[in-house]
Amino acid sequence: MPDLPDPTTLAIPAFVVLVLAEMIAARMRDRSRYCPRDTLTSLALGLGSTVSGVLTGGLFIIIALWIYQFRLFDIGYVWWAFILAFVLDDLAYYWVHRAGHRIRWAWAAHVVHHSSQHYNLSTALRQTWTGFFGLTFIIKLPLFLIGFPPALVAFVGGVNLVYQFWIHTETIGRMPKWVEAVFNTPSHHRVHHATNPRYLDHNYAGVFIVWDKMFGTFTLELDEDRPRYGIVRNLGSFNLIWAATHEWIGIARDVWSAPWGSKFGYIWREPGWSHDGSRETSTMIRARWEAGGTTTGDTSVRSP
Amino acid sequence: MNWEQLAGSLAAILVLAWIARLMKLGESRISDPARACELAEDMLVGFEAKRAIVSEDGGAAIVAGNGTIALLKRHGAQVAVRRLIPPLRVREAIEGVAIDTGERLFGAVTLTGVLVEDVRGLEIGVGSHLRAVPN
Repeated sequence: MPDLPDPTTLAIPAFVVLVLAEMIAARMRDRSRYCPRDTLTSLALGLGSTVSGVLTGGLFIIIALWIYQFRLFDIGYVWWAFILAFVLDDLAYYWVHRAGHRIRWAWAAHVVHHSSQHYNLSTALRQTWTGFFGLTFIIKLPLFLIGFPPALVAFVGGVNLVYQFWIHTETIGRMPKWVEAVFNTPSHHRVHHATNPRYLDHNYAGVFIVWDKMFGTFTLELDEDRPRYGIVRNLGSFNLIWAATHEWIGIARDVWSAPWGSKFGYIWREPGWSHDGSRETSTMIRARWEAGGTTTGDTSVRSP
Repeated sequence: MNWEQLAGSLAAILVLAWIARLMKLGESRISDPARACELAEDMLVGFEAKRAIVSEDGGAAIVAGNGTIALLKRHGAQVAVRRLIPPLRVREAIEGVAIDTGERLFGAVTLTGVLVEDVRGLEIGVGSHLRAVPN
């Protein structure tokens, strides 16, 4: 078995240099693209995610190795296996990511990445501490059953993550047409991070945007509808622990207070679902907007 | 990741945040009532802004809408919003008024240079009345 490097760890120095370069660009073009406290929160969440990844990664490896013993093919580490695994892992990533937005339990883990109202390279590093508990890794398990070695899958998954770093920027407008047609780009991913109704729950791709086109979740960024970033109900707080756990706490509160027949709905239904229709899902927000509204955002109405 | 990498990453994080501060990144303000109305309409589904009051320091605003009030606060270089149903919980603060959102982590929002009467007047336009909370 070859000793494959961890692409994410290797890329950390480049991440730091590129964040610094983007800060300088922001200083010259638009100072509002960065905020020191937001950057600190994002980077601290990223570091915490790395630590939690070390703690829970062992569990994932145990599960992967257990499944790998039932593999259908002995693929090994041949060159074409890396390419094929990269493509299939990216397909799996698409569904992991889509589940992360459409199932509240998984969203509770993933929401952290979307909770910044800024969109810059530091946002890319704003990652979850509870990814393992979101359980979406289950979608990747068939790769081991097919016969891709767990170390190989971890390697291509790392490359995938490193690729996704550079697309978290407003500094780059649009890439050449052929790139925009095939790959996930800053423009496509700005759409994904936007809360504008037309953009909500679109462009789940990791590397290849073709998955969104194939499965009907692709939307182009429009110059006349500039993305507004964050989540439908923005946190309004830089509290690190709150950013990492707020949706889990929200689920716990909802499950506790919901009638018995509706409790599980707050776990497996889409974010924004409620048993009494008092909240709005992204589908409902978009429908309301398509029906004539021109606005977007926080749907919660509360009396203090 | 080993301990050296962890310590290095932590140091890099602090240095980057410090540099962002040195560069004075993230400075912004809600410039005027028209901008506050625009932000509220952009961020709240179906919100139709009628009138706004902006904090003297540009750090917050309230916007009267169709039956609800948008409470805006500067959050870093961006603006976070909550839609509130009147009557609002308002109390006098040394520098202006503080409006309670009912959320501990979002916190009460202070509008400097604004009087309780100003908020009360804006709330009347929404079709409800104010409930003041003692300090």
